[in-house]
Amino acid sequence: MHILFDQADLRYGERIALHPLSLELTDRRIGVIGLNGSGKTSFARLVNGLAKPSHGRVTLDGLDTVTDEKAVMAATGFIFQNPGNQIILPIIRDDIALGPKSRGLKGEALDQAVDTVLTRFGIADLASRRPHELSGGQLQLAALAAVVVTEPKLILFDEPTNQLDLKNRALVKAAIDSLSEQAIVISHDLDLVRDFGRVLVFHEGRLAFDGAGEVAIARYLEIAAC
Amino acid sequence: MLNSLHVEGRTLLHRLPAGPKLALLAAVSLALFFVQSLPILALSLAVTGLLYGSLGLSAGEALKRIRPVLITILLFALVNLVLISATEALTTTLRLLSVLLLAASVTATTTIAAFMDVLTKLFLPLERLGLLKAADISLAVGLVLRFVPEIAARYEGLKEAHRARGLPVRLSRILGPLIISTLKDADSIAQAIDARGIRGQ
Repeated sequence: MHILFDQADLRYGERIALHPLSLELTDRRIGVIGLNGSGKTSFARLVNGLAKPSHGRVTLDGLDTVTDEKAVMAATGFIFQNPGNQIILPIIRDDIALGPKSRGLKGEALDQAVDTVLTRFGIADLASRRPHELSGGQLQLAALAAVVVTEPKLILFDEPTNQLDLKNRALVKAAIDSLSEQAIVISHDLDLVRDFGRVLVFHEGRLAFDGAGEVAIARYLEIAAC
Repeated sequence: MLNSLHVEGRTLLHRLPAGPKLALLAAVSLALFFVQSLPILALSLAVTGLLYGSLGLSAGEALKRIRPVLITILLFALVNLVLISATEALTTTLRLLSVLLLAASVTATTTIAAFMDVLTKLFLPLERLGLLKAADISLAVGLVLRFVPEIAARYEGLKEAHRARGLPVRLSRILGPLIISTLKDADSIAQAIDARGIRGQ
C-alpha cells in the first residue's frame, strides 16, 4: 500500500504524542524503533485509523483514515502488544472465523478460509484450544491467523516479540518473514527489523532517522546512549 | 460455561442444529413444570440420563460437569422434605434433575459459535426495529465467556502478589487494582474489535 503522512500529528490536549510528520511509505517491510514513549505506537495507530490525526492527514492508497475509516480498517490488520486481548472468543477456531464471518463468509467457504490460515501458520492442532491454554508465541500466531484470514493488504505489529522466550520469538519472526502482505513492525527487538530495507527511528515524538535497518539501528543506539 | 463444557462428538444431539436444540430445551423445561405424574417424571429423568450418558463422557467427567448444580438441587430437595410432603419434594427434584441433564446434554453438544449464531438470529427482529445490533448481543456473550476465566486468573495473580509481599489478602485491597486492570484491558479489547472490523460491517 502507498502510505502517506501529510503534516499529520497527534495531540492529547497539551501533550504532543507525535509532531507533524510528512512521509511516504511503499516498502514491503518497514521497521519502527525508538525508546518508550517516542511516538512509535502513535505512528502505527495513525496508520490504521485507530487514532485520528489532530492536524494534517494520513492516507492509504488514497483512502483517508478519517473519512474512509471502514475501508482503511478493512485493508489493514493490527497485532497488538498483548495478543491475549485480541483473541475475543473462547475457542481459537471460532475466534479466527469471527472476522470473515462478520464480512459475510459462511458455510464451507468459511471453514476452508479458517483451515487455510491454521495450516499456513502451523497451528491446526490448536484449533479447539482455549486462549489461556496457549503459550505467548502460539497466542501471537493465533492472533496473526485471525488477522490474515480477513486478507488485509497491510499488517501492523506492535512489539510482537514482547515477553517471548527465544523459541517463541523465532516462531513469530519466521511467521512475519513468511508473510506476503506488507508489514510495519514496531519493536524493541532490534534483530527483528535488522534486515528490513526501511526502518524509522522515532525520538521524543519526532522522526529522528529514516533508512536501512543496520544504519537505523546504529542511530537508535546512539540516541539510547545519550 | 459453554466454552469449557463443549465436547467433540458425532451423536444425534451433536448433529442437530443449535436453534432446534435450544428450542427443545426451552419447551421441555417448560412442559415439565406442568407434569405432576411421578412415573412420567421418572421416565423423563431416565431418558435425559440416557441422553447425557450417551455423549461418551467418563462417569467422573460427567459428574464433575454438573456437580455444583446437582448439589444445589439435592440441598433444595432436603429443604423441601422438611417444608412439603415427600411426594411433592420428589416431584420437584425429578423435574429439576431432568432439566439439569437435558441442559447439560445441550451444552456439551453446542459450540459457543453456534450458540452465538442462534442469539444473533433471535435478536434480529429487534435489530430490524432499529433498537440494537443483534451481532453485538452475541459478541457480548462471547466476550463474557472468553474473559471471565481471565479475570479470575488475574484475581488469583493479585492474591499471590499480596502474599509474596507478606500482605494479608483482603478483597477490599484487591478489588481496586482488579477493576483498574480489567478496565484498561477492556479498552484494548475494544480497540482490537475495531481493528479487526468485527463490528459495524
